[in-house]
Amino acid sequence: MSDAVLLEVVNLSKRFGGITALNNVSMRITKGEILGIIGPNGAGKTTLVNCVTGIYKPDGGKVLFLGEDITGRQPHFIALKGIARTWQKIRPFYNMTVIEAVTAGALLRTKDVLKAREEAAEILEFVGIPRSKFEVLGKNIALIEHKLVDLARAIATKPKLLFLDEVVAGLRPHEVDVIADVVKKVNREMGITLGVIEHVMRFVMNISDRIVVLHEGRLLTQGKPAEVARDPLVVEAYLGTKPV
Amino acid sequence: MLPSSNLILQSVLDGVFLGFLYSLMALGLSLVFGVMGIINFAHGDFIMLGSYLVWILANSLRSDPSLMSVITVPLFFTIGAAIYVAIIRPVLGKEPLIQIAVTVGVGYVLQNLALMMFRAEPRAVQISYLNFYVNLGLVSVHTAKLTSALLSLFIVLGVHYLLTKTWVGLAIRATAYDKEIASLMGINVGKIFLLVFGLGISLTGLAASLWMTFGQADPYIGSSFGLLTWVIIALGGLGGVSGLLASSIIVGVIQSLTMTLVSPSVSLAIPYIVFIIVLWFRPQGLFGKG
Repeated sequence: MSDAVLLEVVNLSKRFGGITALNNVSMRITKGEILGIIGPNGAGKTTLVNCVTGIYKPDGGKVLFLGEDITGRQPHFIALKGIARTWQKIRPFYNMTVIEAVTAGALLRTKDVLKAREEAAEILEFVGIPRSKFEVLGKNIALIEHKLVDLARAIATKPKLLFLDEVVAGLRPHEVDVIADVVKKVNREMGITLGVIEHVMRFVMNISDRIVVLHEGRLLTQGKPAEVARDPLVVEAYLGTKPV
Repeated sequence: MLPSSNLILQSVLDGVFLGFLYSLMALGLSLVFGVMGIINFAHGDFIMLGSYLVWILANSLRSDPSLMSVITVPLFFTIGAAIYVAIIRPVLGKEPLIQIAVTVGVGYVLQNLALMMFRAEPRAVQISYLNFYVNLGLVSVHTAKLTSALLSLFIVLGVHYLLTKTWVGLAIRATAYDKEIASLMGINVGKIFLLVFGLGISLTGLAASLWMTFGQADPYIGSSFGLLTWVIIALGGLGGVSGLLASSIIVGVIQSLTMTLVSPSVSLAIPYIVFIIVLWFRPQGLFGKG
């Protein structure tokens, strides 16, 4: 793992009316790593990703991707630069087939539909969707398949950095293990850097090289998974203060 | 006296031809609504405007109206793109009432413009290379109607091909399903909207050229085409091309039969009554999925 900084977030702030969802958050994502982004509900994890990917315009601060200032740019520009994401809630293209949805992602880097389709097929097989499912409509597949197709659709845009927003939410334990293996494979074999927002501790602690903890819109702490898990601040943020 | 079976057959055939042209008229409306969620109440008035333009062009160039599409299609694409930038883009994401007011307003401006310039007299193009009948025994085929039906079908299938087989089409469909996700896949949603609105309006220019090979321009055809195309889309259930074609033909045939068997004066009312009855039983449209 090299130590080159892929994404740098400097003093990022985002307010919604009177609520400060992100309060001067600064953090880095290093090329090649899997960074776990954790924190209790309302900590600002998804807001952070929305500000980075251009869904929201931040109220203050900077987002630097490979040294380039991409703060407040349009989502399609940021996608072209190489940042992709999946969503907590599955968002399939209901009336497009599995292969079409992923092909649409691959079309970011080529305008040749046949070539994009071949790439889509490879990526779908890579994440474990069998060819027999390629022509099934988005609305007719199971939850775990949705998660994998959403993942494939994001990978198809050939990102350098991919955010996964609660990718294992709602899955059974053995399905969580399937996703964990795929995510590690995406990181190691495809060389895609990952930012993993997650509530399922067993999953995120297992796959992450490093963890950042957000709490009430601020960066609480960061470090190796084992260190973070023992950090009294983190325990307090999740469980509240120890009763005397 | 009962009408002869020949007359009914002839009427059904004319209705089918008309239906194909209706499918072309409805296509642009369906695209704009399906992709952008904008109900373009001015859609029919663009067909009206196109019809007048074709009338002027065909008469002054002494040429067939269908050939005027060479001018109307690119011109209407440009007009559509300009209207998108100036009028539609500012109200995207606003409440439906504002969007409705804006497009209804555009429609009335076009209608009043036509009334001012051409008054309420119907106008038809005298020159047509296709204005003759081919007798097939039981029925006769009006060549202009046949040609406009075939060209309409060709264009509808062409747009279907564009949407399903090309990268632009996939981008358009991805935008239609979820514009936020589409933008994160690198699709410039603003450009897609511009393209779709331009395409939607350019298709009215084409439909107008075909309509004028046998029809007439008057300032009120916009309202009737506008509502007819809405009925077609609602019947088709905003599904694919097959639903659009089928509901267009149903509306065309009902209208044609009404003209033949009842009276031309109720040829707009009967399709609506049928439409309302259909909605009692299938609120999702004839071909929409419940």
